[in-house]
Amino acid sequence: MRRGVGLAAFDRHEQSKRSFAELSTQLSESQVQHLHSQLAQFRTALAHFATNHRDSIRKDPNFRHAFQQMCSSIGVDPLAGPKKGGWWAEMFNLGDWQYELGVQIVDICVSTRERNGGMIVMEEVIRMIVKLRGVSDAEITEEDIVRSIKTLEPLGAGYQVIDVGGKKMIRSVPKELDTDQVLVLVTARERGGRVVEEMLVHGHQWTRERAHAALENMLLRDGLCWVDEQDETYGRAYWIPSTMEWD
Amino acid sequence: MALSSHTTSTGFLLPSIHSAPPFFTKQPNPITNSTATEQWIRLISEYARFKRLFYLRIDDCEATGNDWDEILRNERINRRLLPTYLSYIIETMIEKGLAEYEPPKQTRSVILYWRAPEEWAEALHGWVVSTGRLNTIMTFYEITEPEIESPLSGIPLPLLRKCISILAKTNRSQIIAIPDGEGARFFARSTLQ
Repeated sequence: MRRGVGLAAFDRHEQSKRSFAELSTQLSESQVQHLHSQLAQFRTALAHFATNHRDSIRKDPNFRHAFQQMCSSIGVDPLAGPKKGGWWAEMFNLGDWQYELGVQIVDICVSTRERNGGMIVMEEVIRMIVKLRGVSDAEITEEDIVRSIKTLEPLGAGYQVIDVGGKKMIRSVPKELDTDQVLVLVTARERGGRVVEEMLVHGHQWTRERAHAALENMLLRDGLCWVDEQDETYGRAYWIPSTMEWD
Repeated sequence: MALSSHTTSTGFLLPSIHSAPPFFTKQPNPITNSTATEQWIRLISEYARFKRLFYLRIDDCEATGNDWDEILRNERINRRLLPTYLSYIIETMIEKGLAEYEPPKQTRSVILYWRAPEEWAEALHGWVVSTGRLNTIMTFYEITEPEIESPLSGIPLPLLRKCISILAKTNRSQIIAIPDGEGARFFARSTLQ
């Protein structure tokens, strides 16, 4: 570019600035357009893939999981979408499937609440759902349950998946577990459902008062455990139904 | 631990909760307690119906060798229903109309109504009609120990009396004094005597 020194140089400068701006708008426009078409293409491809593999996605839990993972790693939420039930529902009625599963989870949580105080182990839920469904052609996985519980969130029922010492449990009562209670649950799980004060005092260096208070609170206040007054060794033992395996 | 249902030697299916040790202790939490007690009541009623048992006594959980062993104790986990809890269960059953102290004025023995007395009364009347014994005087013995077994076979006398008095309210029965004790006479529906 020729370096001008007169007044005209200003004009030229303005002009080139304008054309640069124009060019940049043009460029970004085409870029956006390109992106749009790419996105549309991707969407079609994904939709195509989903429809093609619809049966596998519905039936094979590994495949379903892989697909869901793929979706989330590229930032597509299959549950989000313009329609009710989201894109899943639109594509292959998986929305209904998810809702149906949600209803069954609620069913199980509510029907077992009186005996387990609103805490239930993930495997137990899966086992009972399989039983509830009778002859089932499709397997249910943890991911499915977690996903279904997410869809229940807007209902505000307070269903939550929590981690108790590496084991997933579903909590169906909006109740906060303190750390002591979590430890009691972990202990119960290791001991097949039975906890005595002794285990907490010796195993976790708790004072007897602390162990007693934690267990009695779970028994009387929360209804999370049952007491057995005929324990052979200690006379009084606490049993946590949510960590026991029921038929 | 896995809790499973269990079929007893007499063929009764015990629910899985019967193999949970704390089931045999009265629960201090009211909600838990009502769940457990509910289960006990159902279990007792079903077992009584299964074995046609009419009486339940506190003694039944204190000593072995009676009709209730399979239910009131679980040898596999070394637990037995404690007498204090059994008497609470019995009180609850009475509140629900599923049992009554028999004899009255004590609290250690009940008669069980796994069928409501009204149902027993209808069954009695039905049996009388179907065997053509309307208007005949029968002894209580003929009713409770008929030659051909009936749905009423073996029912205890207090329950039989109750049935007869229920039927008497609709003029379908009458207790009659006979030489060797008591008897009854039955009438067809809505016949005024």
